[in-house]
Amino acid sequence: MPTKRFLTPLALSAMLLLLPGAPADAQQPQRGGTLSSIISPEPPTLMIGISQTTPTAIVAGKIYESLLRYSTDLKPMPGLAKSWEISADGRTYTFRLHENVKWHDGQPFTAEDVVFTATKYLIEVHPRSRPIMQRAESVTAPDRNTVVFQLKEPFAPFIMAWEPSTAPIVPKHIYDGTNYRNNPANQTPIGTGPFKLQEWVRGSHIHLVRNDEYWQPGKPYLDAIYYRVLPDAGARVVAMETGQTHLSAFADIETFEVPRLKALPHLELTTKGYEYLAQMVWLDFNLRNPPMNDRRFRQAVYYAMDRDFIRDRIWFGLGKIATGPIHSSIPHYDANVPKYPLDLKKSEQLLDEMGLKRGADGVRVRVTLDALPYGDIYKRLAEYTKQALARVGIEVTIRTSDVAGWGDRVRNWDYEMTHQVLSQLGHPALGVSRLYITSNIRKGVLFSNVNGYTNPRIDELFGKAAVAVEPAEIQAMYSEIQRILVEDVPVAWLLELEFPTFINKQFRNVITSGIGVRDNFADVHMVRQ
Amino acid sequence: MQRLQFIAQRVVKGIVVLLGIIILNFLLIRMAPGDPASVMAGEAGAADEVFMSQLRKEFGLDRPLHEQLAVYVKNVVTLDLGYSYRQQRPVADLLLERVPATLLLTGTAFLLSLVVGVLLGILAASRVGQWSDSLVTVIALFFYATPIFWVGLMGILLFSVTLGWLPSFGMYTVGGKLTGAAFALDVLHHLILPAITLALFHMAVYARMTRASMLEMRDQDFVRTAHAKGLREGRIVRIHVLRNAILPVITMAGVKAGYLIGGSIVVETVFAWPGIGRLAFETVMQRDYNLLLGVFILTSFMVIAVNLITDIIYSFVDPRIELGQ
Amino acid sequence: MTGMEGLRDFWQRYRRNKGAIVGLAVLVLVLATALLGPTLFPGNPWDMAGAPFQKPFDPEFPLGTDTLGRDILMGIVHGARVSLLIGFVATFAAVSLGVILGSVAGYYGGLVDDLLMRFTEFFQTIPSFVFAIVLVAIFTPSIASIVAAIAIVSWPPVARLVRGEFLTLRTREFVQASVVLGRSSRHIIFVEILPNAVSPIIVAGSLMVATAILIESSLSFLGLGDPNMMSWGFMIGSARTVLRTAWWMSFFPGLAILLTVLALNLVGEGLNDALNPRLTREGR
Repeated sequence: MPTKRFLTPLALSAMLLLLPGAPADAQQPQRGGTLSSIISPEPPTLMIGISQTTPTAIVAGKIYESLLRYSTDLKPMPGLAKSWEISADGRTYTFRLHENVKWHDGQPFTAEDVVFTATKYLIEVHPRSRPIMQRAESVTAPDRNTVVFQLKEPFAPFIMAWEPSTAPIVPKHIYDGTNYRNNPANQTPIGTGPFKLQEWVRGSHIHLVRNDEYWQPGKPYLDAIYYRVLPDAGARVVAMETGQTHLSAFADIETFEVPRLKALPHLELTTKGYEYLAQMVWLDFNLRNPPMNDRRFRQAVYYAMDRDFIRDRIWFGLGKIATGPIHSSIPHYDANVPKYPLDLKKSEQLLDEMGLKRGADGVRVRVTLDALPYGDIYKRLAEYTKQALARVGIEVTIRTSDVAGWGDRVRNWDYEMTHQVLSQLGHPALGVSRLYITSNIRKGVLFSNVNGYTNPRIDELFGKAAVAVEPAEIQAMYSEIQRILVEDVPVAWLLELEFPTFINKQFRNVITSGIGVRDNFADVHMVRQ
Repeated sequence: MQRLQFIAQRVVKGIVVLLGIIILNFLLIRMAPGDPASVMAGEAGAADEVFMSQLRKEFGLDRPLHEQLAVYVKNVVTLDLGYSYRQQRPVADLLLERVPATLLLTGTAFLLSLVVGVLLGILAASRVGQWSDSLVTVIALFFYATPIFWVGLMGILLFSVTLGWLPSFGMYTVGGKLTGAAFALDVLHHLILPAITLALFHMAVYARMTRASMLEMRDQDFVRTAHAKGLREGRIVRIHVLRNAILPVITMAGVKAGYLIGGSIVVETVFAWPGIGRLAFETVMQRDYNLLLGVFILTSFMVIAVNLITDIIYSFVDPRIELGQ
Repeated sequence: MTGMEGLRDFWQRYRRNKGAIVGLAVLVLVLATALLGPTLFPGNPWDMAGAPFQKPFDPEFPLGTDTLGRDILMGIVHGARVSLLIGFVATFAAVSLGVILGSVAGYYGGLVDDLLMRFTEFFQTIPSFVFAIVLVAIFTPSIASIVAAIAIVSWPPVARLVRGEFLTLRTREFVQASVVLGRSSRHIIFVEILPNAVSPIIVAGSLMVATAILIESSLSFLGLGDPNMMSWGFMIGSARTVLRTAWWMSFFPGLAILLTVLALNLVGEGLNDALNPRLTREGR
């Protein structure tokens, strides 16, 4: 979709809504209405700066805002910043902020808040934002509505780091000089967003109400949003079916229920709104241990995995088969890489070559697989993997644990194989390179290069690509990275995840950007029927 | 006077048991792989050393274990249950928010199961061998043997999905803005399915016990004597059989209090009921040590209290039985 | 109580309870399935043999297939072994622990009894299912950790029961005689008293197998089952979210649990009738 960069947010969202099947909304949106959404699991806190969990991002995304938002093809859109400029040398970023923006407590929002957030707050608390903000040599506010970032060296992905969960802007007058994690204000979040926290009944629901002082005049349209905590997947389906809730996202609705819900007349299905996160699931090999340290073994495993089966039977047709380390919605993706179709013969041949012969029981080698602790679907994936690899003589023992147990094993390199799923965060330099570069092999740190892959050429290319300025040059480097990695199979990329978002048709303009349900919902409105 | 002394004795004993539970569980939960910091890192999709060490330092997890234990026990003694790492709020507040829901659910289920169970048991025992006895026995056996979540799921399937009579989740209509009697009715409406689900299993237990106990009593000498004296059947049942037959049922009911809380984990999960049981399950997974210990303290306290109350009731039902035996 | 009488007498009394006969028949069937099933239905229950979501009463898959196309019938046949194994092993462990602690407490009495009973009380006070969840979660779900957790939360009633029996039995003449004869405590506990207390233990044990199977299914339902073992609890746990679209996936394993637990309960009652003639009920 050829989207121009300076479209107004409203025009852009209207354009994006023209999905096939969605009736175009001719009338002017009207005020009023209450949206009831599912939230699962319950967020630990609504202070988005100290928790980067998805549920927190979804709810707090209505309360806190960042400088930018991103379209579904990952072009920056105005947020708290109405416009921005990047200098020719790629080192100076100037953001011009909206005027007359107020915090929920009535205090004015100014450039000083942005400076505080970028130079102090995020660097202290935010593990994902910290390395990005540290690239700034100086952050200054020449006037109340202008912020200038002077980077130490060019870093093109810098413009992709300004969505609410990556860089939420927090009020300086509340947080400066306090303990950010313990500040009592974390219980009563103060943001600039279109909705304010009214009440949070733990275990039951979160009630947000309209911010009457919101800086976009006339918005938001909704009076209130309820987030219902529904831990049971069956209950969530019933809630959507009966209209008790109007919105579900991410893994709220299990994949096998999608075809049935899709057919219901009052619900609309979209898989848009996850482009920024761009989650991918892969099979991770601990490269320190045999036989995983042998490329032939990893290729054999890759050839033995029927990824059509994974997509069609486990994810019920949702998702795209991954071709390599970069998600196809992320910039610099290149499809021109070696392919690993299902090929059991080739797989067995590679294992034979390695000298892993089948024993009397038909088993060549035994490995342990740690299942991802993020829900039933990953258990099914583990069960499938076990069966698929059994066909070529690799006996897999599945180990399940909860998030803490799994995280501890993986970050301390105490595993053989595991599945992983991770977001790519809008740019390979933000979400992909961290998994393959040698300098990010850090014991004890989850989502680093845990499997210990190291390749000097890859290190060099990722390093150069991040600071390069010339687009063609950047693309060439990322293309080479993808070709090398796919040949090497440091991990077996399985699927680019697509999540079903179900929207009750009474509501319009729900998904208007690449950050989807985590966006601020200022444009969501209800149609009277 | 004797009764008061007995109660004081039991309270002291209860406190000792509680203290033991705290220490055991404190040590046990620390044996689990991973800590709250690693859970938060795992959920955030991003983490670095700074993030983890900041969290550990803040939670006091960087201090030696015995020191942490000492601090914790000292705090508990002063009725301070600490802070939930994850939710950044005092544990006592979080528990108190959830207690009413659980008390409502388990309390209703407890009464329902006890009353209906005992009545069914009496019915069956007084009609031994007749079809109504067989029916009660079969029903009781059936629910005794059925997994509790299965009953809940089937209940949802029938009463929420197919018939549309009852809500399938939650404790009240959120955003309904109901007050007073309307609100109470709304809660009641939501309560029916989970309370019955939780009650059925225990109802089966009490029905079976009452029946067996009644039949046993019927053959006892003093009942035979009553018959011989020519007392009417109804009076015999009421005065002699029932009173004695109910004792083991009450004991069992006290013992089962803990099971009721266990069952409520499953029921609260199935029906999204915002109670302690579900909180317990979630806190285990989240390694929210303080909150989990708080749940243990609270639930164990509830069990001790119920047992004590059972003993006191027992002493009233049968004054011949000395307290403390 | 007069101790064990002839097997024939036992069977005579057991047979009077019609429910117990039915229970025994079902239990034998389940046991046969567990022992012979994998031979009669060779193959791997995890194989994604057919299309997913196949409805039951189909010639190829009589009980249908699950979300990944695995044969439900195969799962139930192979799961019988796992469910029964967990039930029996956990019960054996719990009963052993309960017998040892209960007999020591009941035999020695005094301070030992007091201490052991406090210890028991302690385990009875912690809500057992919550405790089981914590144990399984901590030691990662596996067949061993599940069995251990069930045993740890199940032994206290056995200990109390055995203690009660010992308290009454140790004052009997035959025990006193052994004491006078200078027999060792171990001899008296295990050779003299225990055989006389065995009936209620067997009855309690048979019911405990049933409870253990139910606990395992609840753990699996919450996602704490052994991922490498096809158990009935696992089948329901993995199918519960599809309950509304695919009832058969949780219905048949649920039925298997129901029947097995029911059978165990009936057998337990039959044993009770046969072993404790004093309590034999009328009207069966």
